[in-house]
Amino acid sequence: MALPGGPEDFDPGTARERTELAWSRTAISFAAVGGAILKTSMAAGLVVLAISIPIWSLRRLLSAAATTAARPRQLLLVTVTVTAVSLVALVVALLGHTAR
Amino acid sequence: MELSSEPCGPDRDAEPDRDAEPDARFTFANERTFLAWTRTALAFVIAGLGIVQLLPPFPGVPWGRHLLGVPLIVLGGVIAMVGYGEWAHNQRALRRREPLARSVLPRILAVTIAGLAIVSAVVLLLSAILKP
Repeated sequence: MALPGGPEDFDPGTARERTELAWSRTAISFAAVGGAILKTSMAAGLVVLAISIPIWSLRRLLSAAATTAARPRQLLLVTVTVTAVSLVALVVALLGHTAR
Repeated sequence: MELSSEPCGPDRDAEPDRDAEPDARFTFANERTFLAWTRTALAFVIAGLGIVQLLPPFPGVPWGRHLLGVPLIVLGGVIAMVGYGEWAHNQRALRRREPLARSVLPRILAVTIAGLAIVSAVVLLLSAILKP
């Protein structure tokens, strides 16, 4: 069943564009986590901040190829990265300085 | 509504039970859902870090910030992994023209947020009672 009247019926390019914007927001979210970690651990914060650059570049790569096959490895990599970032944040939370 | 029978896909003439590439719009929509859960996971990590690092300590409950913040950070990692699993599952269902399964993530989210609200209330009450 088609989705009648949806904006994507008039302009299928919007799906691609919205997905690119979603990647942008995700890259910005990585930068935000990096900024939050920066406060406690300069090195770890800079590493997480730098991760937002390859995430940003995935945006073009994946919007060019709309197939299933082009995706699993990249998305799995993003997942592994988020999990690693949460582990870093856990270490920072448990060992870092807290407000007094 | 069965999203999987979209007629505009490149393989629209394929047999219904055959594995075939879905309409690109569905692939993009599934990817955006995955990315939205990824951002949710990152937001949980930020929230957990913020609680542990930025809040002043609860008087009388020195471990209160860690009790609230650490589960949020762990949940961030869990949401990211479950989000990927659901992306893969949904993409497979789209390829096979099968109905999409219901997501477990909203339930995980609701249960954890409700649990954290209760723990927050307990920590605040304990802090009010134990305040030196």
